[in-house]
Formats: sequence, structure tokens, C-alpha cells
Amino acid sequence: MKIFLKIFLIVIMSAVLILPNLVLAQDLTDVYLTIFYGDGCPHCHNELLFLEKLQAEFSNLKIRKLEVWSDKDNLEVMKDAVRKFNLTTTNVPLTIIGSEVITGYLNDETTGSRIRKIVEKHSATGCQDTVGEIMGLDVSQGDVVCDQDQESKNITLPVFGQINTATWSLPLLTMAIAAVDGFNPCAMWILLFLISLLLGMEDKKKMWILGSTFIIVSALAYFLFLAAWLNLFLFLGFIRVIRVVIGLVAIGSGGYHLKSYWQNRDGSCEVVDDEKRAKIIDRLRKITEQKFFWLAVLGIVGLAFAVNLIELVCSAGLPAIYTQILALAKLSTPGYYLYLLLYIFIFTLDDLLVFIIAMTTLQAVGISSKYTRWSNLIGGIIIFILGILLIFKPGWVMFG
Amino acid sequence: MKVLKIGAVWCPGCIIMKPRWQKIEQELPWLETEYFDYDKDKDVVEKYQVGKKIPVFIFLDKDSQEFDRKTGEIDRKELMAFLQENKDR
Repeated sequence: MKIFLKIFLIVIMSAVLILPNLVLAQDLTDVYLTIFYGDGCPHCHNELLFLEKLQAEFSNLKIRKLEVWSDKDNLEVMKDAVRKFNLTTTNVPLTIIGSEVITGYLNDETTGSRIRKIVEKHSATGCQDTVGEIMGLDVSQGDVVCDQDQESKNITLPVFGQINTATWSLPLLTMAIAAVDGFNPCAMWILLFLISLLLGMEDKKKMWILGSTFIIVSALAYFLFLAAWLNLFLFLGFIRVIRVVIGLVAIGSGGYHLKSYWQNRDGSCEVVDDEKRAKIIDRLRKITEQKFFWLAVLGIVGLAFAVNLIELVCSAGLPAIYTQILALAKLSTPGYYLYLLLYIFIFTLDDLLVFIIAMTTLQAVGISSKYTRWSNLIGGIIIFILGILLIFKPGWVMFG
Repeated sequence: MKVLKIGAVWCPGCIIMKPRWQKIEQELPWLETEYFDYDKDKDVVEKYQVGKKIPVFIFLDKDSQEFDRKTGEIDRKELMAFLQENKDR
């Protein structure tokens, strides 16, 4: 009897100890985690390594890895997910667990720890395979107990306080590249010649209209050119070959700007091809001598468009480099065009300043080539580094 | 000594150098200078083989022989020192 009692107690105690675990094991529901990543993106690589470790801990964890830089279908799924979750920033890595979205990956201790907690939570409560739904898969519906919390990329700087790097990097880069692009002597000489002609006119109102028309139309032509590049890159998507080619262009362009810094120490102006220069000068003279003012305005519009074709050659690939980086940022459509407007504003700023000062003081002014030199040095370094990153570390130049 | 200044209305460096020369000319009344336009004065540009970089400043001695030339934006003090040094040439 005592033996039976002992066996009974052992069974009961074992049941007490083991059963809850059995119940728990049965309660562990499948957790679907989808990671959108880019091949070559360092943060994605770190997260993928972390997910391998996490997979070993959680047998119920179903990981779906979708590469989006070279796989267009996966990119479409990512775009759908971005729309579904109303995301404003769509960088990789993008991790979705149920309806929880984690953008970026800092390290195992921070972002990794958050992913682990979410997986733990959903292992008990269950969660929808939202990406599976987007992909049209037959998915089991779990209880959705999810709160959305995006990874912030804040850094604390003295004086400025807390700054979001994702928010500030792209505008700063936009302004830097546009400034280098804008300090282009090839473009400035036509404006300076026009100003010299305008200063000889008696009618101040006409001076202002003709000069500002030239600057505005030039800016518009350049905007259209940038928009064309951007749309081409957006259409092509994340094609590695394109990225590498643009990276090589950036390395070449960076080298060209650094060479200009090194060579043009005396601050002299390189003379544009004689024949081309003579044609433009002749055309500008005829325009300002027009009897009918509206013909002069039309002439300026046509000339501004035409000379910008020359300028595009002078820019040494900067529009292509910038719009490739912008396309990688994955912004909303208005977001892209706002960045293009910012670029154009900075690009045109020096022209505007030179024009306004000349028109108000009635004296021609020029920007010292010392500034152009520094712009070449700083810009050259930035563009050169961008080229290296585009080829070897594309994840580092994916903003937004 | 005479200085030939070769520039253009569309050249930022030339525009920067213009007031610098005006000040120097006021300070050194003995200095003779003459301005030539790169687009208009083709003969001078060709004669002195100005090349593709402007502004160019050509320094002639008493016999109208070139003894030096400078290109680009030059610091006013540096230019003054150079002119004083070569005043009697």
C-alpha cells in the first residue's frame, strides 16, 4: 500500500511539475517574423545573425527573410507593408512581427532585446502573420496584442540637444551636394555676363524681370533634370549594378573636385570654349537689345533652358549621384520632390545672391574662387566617401 | 613699369580683382595700368599668349618687355609688395 501511495505521490508531483510546462509548450503559438533586408547592408547582416540565435531559442519562431535590393517582388511586398502600416521611414532592415514594426537595427542589446521581448510576448498571446497576409498566404489568425514602437535613431549633441540622425542626415547631405554643385563657375559666367548687360539698361524693372527669369528658368530646367534622374532610379529599383556604377561615378567626381581644389590655387577662371562662349554672348546681346520686351523674356527662357544643357555636363555627375542616394532613401512622393526643391534652392542661392546684390548696388559682384576651392575640397571628400559607401556599404547611405 | 590687366565681365576672379586694382592705383599714382577685355581685345590676348585662365596681369618694364605675369585672385598686400619691389624696372 505504501508503495502504491509513494507511486501515486510521485505521479502527482511529477504532474504538478511537468504538466504546466506541457501546457505552456502547447500554448506557444507560432510567431511570424518578417525581415526586409538589403544584401550588403551592415545593420541587416547584424540583425540576421541575431535572428539565427533567436531561432535556436524559440522553436515556434517562423522567420521570413526577404531581400529587397535585388529582388523586385520582395520590394513590392515591402512597399505594400509600408503602406499598410503607414510608415514614413522605410529603411532596411525593416522587421515586422504581427503588427509591430521595428525599423533599423542598432545592436543585440538594444534592438535585439526588443525583438526578443516581442517574440516572447507573442509566443504566449499569438499574433497575426501580417506580411503573410500581404503576400496572399493562407495564414492562421492569432490574437493581436501588438503596440507599434519604432526604433529611434537619436543622438545627443551639446547645444543642439537630442537630434534624430535619420531626420537630419539627408537634408544636410542635400545641402552639401547642392552647394558643391551650385558653386560651378561654368554656370556663373553666363549669369555674370547677363548682369553686365543688364547693368547697362535704363529700365530697372526690365533688369529685374530678365535676370530673375533667367535664374528661375535655369532652376526649373535643373529641377526637371533632377526629377528625371530620380524617376529613373525609382523605376529601376535597387539594382546592384546601377548602384556600383553610380558609386564609381561618385569616386570619379569626388576625385575631379579634389583635383580642382589642388590645381586651381591661384583662383583663376577657366575659359569656356571660345566658339560656344561667343555664341552665348552674341545671343544674350541680341536678347537684351530686343525692341519688344516680351520677345526678350522669351529669348531668356529659351537661352536659360539651352545653357543648362551645358551645365549638366559641367556638374560632373552630381545630379545622378544625389538622386541615386535620394532614391535609396525610400520617401513618400512629396518627400522626394521637397528634397529636390531644397537641392535647387541651395543650388541657386549663390546665383540669387550675386544677382540681387548686383541689381541693388548696380555693380557687378563675383564670388571669390577661394570659396569655390573650399567647396571643391569639402564636396570632393564627401562625394568620394559617398562613392565608396555606395559600392561597399550601401546601407550607410540609406536615409529616411 | 606698366601693368596689362586682362579679364572679362563674366569672370568672378576678374570682378574680385577690379576694386583691388582701383585701390592700388590710387595708392601708387606713378603706376601705369591698362585693361583689356578677353573677348574684345583678341590681338592683345594673342600677342601675349594669355591662354585659358583669367584674370592675367602682365608686368612690362620701361622697354615694354614683359618681366613677369600673375594669374588669378592675388592678395592686395602681395601685389603692393611686388609693385614696390619692381618700381624702377
